[in-house]
Amino acid sequence: MDVKDTREQLEIVEKILAASSRTLCAGGEFFLVWGIVSASIDFLNQLVANNTLPATALWAMPVLILIGVVFSTWRSIQMRAHSGRMSMLQREYLNMMYMTLGVTFVAQFAGSNFFAGWAEGAIWNVAGTMVLLFIGMHGNRRAVLAGVVLIVTLAIANYTPAIAGYVLGAGMLVGYTGFGATELLARE
Amino acid sequence: MDELLLSKIRLGIIAELLASDWVAFSALQHSLQTTNGNLGAHLGKLIESGYVDEEKAFVDRRPLSRYRLTQRGREAFVSHVREMQAMLQGAESS
Repeated sequence: MDVKDTREQLEIVEKILAASSRTLCAGGEFFLVWGIVSASIDFLNQLVANNTLPATALWAMPVLILIGVVFSTWRSIQMRAHSGRMSMLQREYLNMMYMTLGVTFVAQFAGSNFFAGWAEGAIWNVAGTMVLLFIGMHGNRRAVLAGVVLIVTLAIANYTPAIAGYVLGAGMLVGYTGFGATELLARE
Repeated sequence: MDELLLSKIRLGIIAELLASDWVAFSALQHSLQTTNGNLGAHLGKLIESGYVDEEKAFVDRRPLSRYRLTQRGREAFVSHVREMQAMLQGAESS
């Protein structure tokens, strides 16, 4: 192998590596659906706490979660099947997201004495903020804004206990669902 | 130098897989602008050497092959590029 060939080969490698995707596909539809599911659960809890709805209405919660899980599973399979590649960054993002949401799920149930009452909803706003800020770290300003909205609603809910469920739900709707909607619009 | 990576197509395949968790056959073909047969033959050699892993699946009743770089392939690529860079530096300084 001579110098010319070596230079040519190194150029090929540089060209391919420079072209390799460093962009992150957040998957707007997941944020849209889970934002609606989470906000609905917060609103439902608030309506039951206000005695506007009977306590039996809380049975809608597992149904809502099931809808979210079924949709996410179906969409993930579909996306994986029709995608040509998955970047390392995308894999890192998915691992981080599953880890954050998985740990939050376990914490909510295993630590039900700690995360009782509105803390149960608030912990999801924290998890959502972490996921959004990770996406924001990779250049998505909408995600940073959405993450800030989500964490600000947590602070507001803390000082408005009478309507905490509505505030946390609104944070999920604006921050999480709003981010998902803007991602889908940007994709078009 | 790694003789297996002296081929531009094989080096290109490894470079494509380097920043990805996995890449489908069609995406590799699109990036490297080569024929099915040619790409398949080069991939075969890389799989045989343990540099690349192959995963076969069916999507909408059509076969789909995905490839990922193994640790062995990653190490081979890194040392190959280092040797090429050293060779180039040596040639430039002499």
